[in-house]
This record gives sequence, structure tokens and C-alpha cells, in this order.
Amino acid sequence: MAMLDIKNLTLEISEGDTTIKALDKVSLSVNSGEIRALVGESGSGKSLIVSAICGALPAKWKLTADRMSWNGENLLSMSTQQRREVMRRDIAVVFQNPQTSLDPSVTLGEQLEESIPEEFVKGQWFWQRAKHRKKIAISTMHKVGIKDHNTYLKSYPHQVPSDIGQKFMMAIALVAQPKLLIADDPTRGMEPTTKTQILKLLTRLNQTRALSVLFVSHDLLAIASMSHTMTVLYAGQTVESGKMKHIKKRPLHPYTKALLDSAPSFRKDLPPKSSLPTLKGSIPTLQHLPIGCRLGPRCPRAQRECVVTPSSRRIHDHIYSCHYPLHREVK
Amino acid sequence: MIQVLLRYVVLFTITLVVLCAMSFSLAYLFPGDVLENLTGISPQNEFQRAAIARQLGLEQNYFVQFYYYLERLLAGDWGYSSASGLPLLEEVSVALPATIELSTYAMFMAIVVGIPLGYYAGVKCYSTTDYTLNSLSITTYSFPVFWFALVLILVFSLQLDVAPISGRLSLLFDVESVTGFIMIDILLADNIDHGLAIRDALSHLFLPTVAIGAITTAAMVRITRRSVIDVMQRPYIAAARSRGLSSWQIFFRHVIRNALLPILPLMAIQITTLITNAMIVETLFSWPGIGNWLLQAIYQQDYPALRVGMLAVSALVVTLTIIVDLFNRLIDPSRDRFERGTI
Ligand SMILES: Nc1ncnc2c1ncn2[C@@H]1O[C@H](COP(=O)(O)OP(=O)(O)OP(=O)(O)O)[C@@H](O)[C@H]1O
Ligand code: SF4
Ligand SMILES: [Mg+2]
Repeated sequence: MAMLDIKNLTLEISEGDTTIKALDKVSLSVNSGEIRALVGESGSGKSLIVSAICGALPAKWKLTADRMSWNGENLLSMSTQQRREVMRRDIAVVFQNPQTSLDPSVTLGEQLEESIPEEFVKGQWFWQRAKHRKKIAISTMHKVGIKDHNTYLKSYPHQVPSDIGQKFMMAIALVAQPKLLIADDPTRGMEPTTKTQILKLLTRLNQTRALSVLFVSHDLLAIASMSHTMTVLYAGQTVESGKMKHIKKRPLHPYTKALLDSAPSFRKDLPPKSSLPTLKGSIPTLQHLPIGCRLGPRCPRAQRECVVTPSSRRIHDHIYSCHYPLHREVK
Repeated sequence: MIQVLLRYVVLFTITLVVLCAMSFSLAYLFPGDVLENLTGISPQNEFQRAAIARQLGLEQNYFVQFYYYLERLLAGDWGYSSASGLPLLEEVSVALPATIELSTYAMFMAIVVGIPLGYYAGVKCYSTTDYTLNSLSITTYSFPVFWFALVLILVFSLQLDVAPISGRLSLLFDVESVTGFIMIDILLADNIDHGLAIRDALSHLFLPTVAIGAITTAAMVRITRRSVIDVMQRPYIAAARSRGLSSWQIFFRHVIRNALLPILPLMAIQITTLITNAMIVETLFSWPGIGNWLLQAIYQQDYPALRVGMLAVSALVVTLTIIVDLFNRLIDPSRDRFERGTI
């Protein structure tokens, strides 16, 4: 059974008197022990999904879902107290922008230590506990690859380079030993060696501790090498989801195909110096969403029926939303 | 660190020198005799006049004169009041503490009452409590201080008779002015009943403090509330919440401090308003402070007193502003960044 199970999540943002569906019937699930990739162009709503899962969206935005559950418990209807407990013990989040997600007036060390659940800290007296807490903090820092713990424990967020900030976010998330880690673009702008380090760490935790990961990224290569399953998002709609190897071998949705084709590393038969095939146009802004299938205006296979939103169809555990998927001939 | 201190000291000195220069120029701008404006002494004969003029360096250029002026200011020779004939340094050092004392209590009231209320309103933002507090503070903030003080006198002194109308202390108590702060002076005096005297001083303080403090309190509530609401919307609060920290933990560890930092510079601005209000209210309560004193000087066309009084008040305001700013600089870790970034 899926640990995190989201079905038909819809998020309506109202600005003035217009209401926009920033997320439209998004479905996403993360099974126990799997790494799921969430891919999509910039502005497709990935970070909104992340915020929706951890309940960090502004209260005035309308969030509805047919199902949004954590281990069978409904996240939307549970009390604030229960929800907090889930976030504290089970789900950890690395937000996209590490520099703004860290409190500027508190040292990194304090922020890391406050995230350690009380039950992990041994010792009867507060100084014993403080010492143990510090020990946990330091070992977590080493784990995410921060060697110089003495300097950084006492630093403020603005004093450290951005990759240390990103690693700290990772450390803060991992120190509570969560069951699910949601990482929103955790390796953005990192150097290749640092990036490999982080990706390896995630893979290792996934294998040894059965940590499930929801991995949001732009880096198709990293995603393809480490994730088991993938969900593709386009302009706030899920277009395709399924096993990584199935999608890679045979994408069913035109958008997924365009996405994969645009990454040179997936094309073995690419002749030298050829231009990469891409979809024409760019992702629509939320104010100018087309009706029906949101890919419509850019889709090479679009037909008249595409003005009706395609429902999601399923072949085994491969789900797609398209009237004319790639395995069917277009008349 | 030392660099920062040095920068503030330089800034402070330059500002004071500019203020002195302005006060010096007043001697020329005011009507009447420059010599009298500078010293407050009217010479009896030409011989005496020539002697004083030489002492002031009046026959030399403005810069030399200004230099002599600064020298005299630093030596404590501020001239004499042309109305009372007393040394101005002495008069100011009696009047200024009275105003500082009043302002301190009003500021204390604003901080102790205003900031917690502001935090409360900010945390409960957009609730009924918040709206009530907010409208109350807007109403109070819009009171003209003069009118508000009169209403207080009307209600508490004339109708209810719970507080005296004017003065600092009942004449029954013979308290010598040592520090100029009435509370300290009472404690220092030895031939009186301290308990009774303090109670009497408090009842005199009550109305002027409330009159001045209420408006600043209202300002504090609004500033704090805004700041708390801003901080609560920051991504790091959402991140802390997603780590499962309780509302209390988030409030104490992440909201209080971050909300306080932007308030401090605004508080410095409030100090200016506060002292201005204090000077206005003093005249209503016959409080022997610098505002009352300056007003008397204006009535009596006591130009030397006006020159020195303005210098003293502006120096006080500048000093307080710089101290608050320095304090703010010392407790806000992220301000390093801006300094390193600027060229
Ligand atoms: N606070 C907000 N108010 C209004 N619209 C918002 C807000 N936050 C996000 N959006 C809109 O929601 C859409 C999705 O944004 P989101 O941040 O989820 O994109 P993303 O997929 O995470 O992109 P990226 O890959 O660049 O991180 C964007 O079009 C954005 O304009
Ligand atoms: S539904 Fe139509 S427009 Fe949308 S992706 Fe499929 S073919 Fe293209
Ligand atoms: Mg994002």
C-alpha cells in the first residue's frame, strides 16, 4: 500500500475575483521504500504540491482532494496536533530555497538541534542531554558531508555558502529519521561532486534504512539513475506516472516524450551536431491556461477532442492522461 | 566590532559638531545683539563690551569664533539666561532630567504594554481580538496629545479627583535637586518620609505619563503587530512548522527575535515623537521640564536660552537615536552582510 497517497488534488488560488486552478486533479503516491521522482518544467506546480503535503499553503487558498492520506490516515481532516505529529516524526521536507527556509537570526547549530526529536536524546540532566544533542547534530552533519562542523554550528545562515545551506537543510530533515523525505530540488546549483555526494547519500539511506524519497528535480539524468518511479507534471496537471524503466523505454504521453527527447543523454541514436527536438512555445502562465488538456496548443498530436480534459487511463501501473497516447495511431 | 564602534563615534561627533554650528549660527540669525545672544550678558559700557568681544573672538572670522564657541561649550560655559541671569548650564541640567524622566516612564509604558499587545495581535492576526486591538490603537494614535492630556485632566483631576493637576511633587516635601530625577532625588533626600513622598510623586507622574505614553503605546502595538505578521509569513516559519515544531516553540524560537529586529529602528523614531509630545504635555501639567522652560524662554525672548535649549534637546535626540541604532546593530547578526556588500 502507498504510504503517501494523493488523488485528484486541486488547488484554487484566488486573486481578486478570478480563481485559478494552480493544481488540477493531481494524483501522486509514494510507496514504502521507493524513490519517486516528480518532474516538470519550471512553474508546473511542483513546489505547490510539496507545500500542500506539508500544510504550508496560505489558509485562503482552497485545497481539495478526493484522497490525501498518510499511512491510511486522512491528512486533510486530521487535527492540527496529529498533523504536526506526522510532520515531526514521519515526513521531512527540504524546501526549494534553503537560504529563506532558515531563520536568519538563529545559528545553524541551534536550528539543527531543535529538530532532533526529544525521544532520541539520552541523558537525565539537561547538560547531558545538551551534550548528546550536540553529538547527534555533529554526526548528522558529517553524514550529509559537512566536515568543518565547529565553524558551521556557530554560523548564521547568511554567513555560509549556499551549498552548505542546502546540506544543512538536508541534515535538518534527516536528523529526525523520517520515513519519507520530500526533497524539492535539493541539488540545485551544486557542483557535480557535491551533487553526487548528496544523491549517493539518498540512495544509500533508501537502501539501508528503507527511506522513501519524493525527489523533485530538473536533473533528468540524476532522476533516471536513482528513482524507481516517476510522475510527470505539466502546468498543474499530472500527465503521466509509472515505473521509471517503463516510462524511459516507452513514454505514452506526448509531453513525456518531448521531455525525454530534449535530454541528450537519453538519446543513443543521436547524430552529431543535430538540433534537439523540443515542443514549440513555452509553458503557459497560470493566467492564460488553455481549456481541456493544458498541453493542447503545443501538442503535435492534438485533435479536436483535446478541448475536453482527458481522464486518466491506466495500463497495469502505468497511468497517463491523454486522448491520443503514443501507442495509439492517430487517424 | 571596533570598526563598527569607531564608525558610530565618528558619525556621532560629526552630527554634534553640525548641531553646534547651527546653534552658533542662531546667535547671528536671532534679532538683537550677537554678543548678547552668545553670552546673555548685556555689557554696561563700551569698555566691558570690548573686553567680552575679545574674549569671544568676535573681531575674527566666523571659524575662529565657532572654535571659541565650541571651546566654551565643552568647558561648560554656556552663557547666562537674559531673563533670570542664572547660568544656562545649571538651568538646563535641572529642566532636561525632568523631561527625560517623564519620557522614560512613558517609553517604559509603551514598551511594557505596547509590545506584548502587538505580539498578541500579530499572532492572532485577523481575529476579532486583533481587530479590536488594532482599531483601539488607531483611535488612540490619532488623538492630538494636547487634547488627550486635557481630557485626562478633566476626567481624573477635576471630576474624579484622583490625581493632582500640576507639578512634580507636593510642596510639603522638601527635596533638593541632586540628579534632577525626582524618584532618585527622593531616595537621596534624608529628612522626609520616603514612602509618602514616592506615592505623591507617582500620583503627579501618572497623568502626564499616560498622556504621553498612550500615543506611543498605540504606535508600538501597530509596529509590532505588522512586524509579527510579516515574520509569520516568512518561508522559514513554514519550514519550522513543517518540521513539526509547536506554535509555542515557533513563537519563542523564531518569531520573537525576528519580529523585534525591525521594530528597534522604528522605536528610535518614536523616541523623537515622544520627546516632542513630552514637551507639549509639560506645559499643561506645569511640569518643570525642558519644554516648559523653552516656552518660557520664547515668551520672554530669552535668545541665549533658546539657543542652548535647542542644542540640548537635539543633542539628546541624536544621542538616543544613535544608541538605539548601535544596539540594534550589535544584536542583529545579519546586518554584517550589508556592510560587507557596500562599497
Ligand atoms: N504565492 C503564490 N501566489 C501566486 N501564485 C503562485 C504562488 N506561488 C506559486 N505560484 C504559481 O504557481 C505555479 C507553480 O509554482 P511552483 O513554485 O510550484 O513551480 P515549480 O514547479 O516548483 O517550479 P520550479 O521548478 O521553478 O521550482 C507558478 O506558475 C507560480 O506562478
Ligand atoms: S490530450 Fe490531446 S493535446 Fe493533450 S497531450 Fe494528448 S493528444 Fe496532446
Ligand atoms: Mg519549485
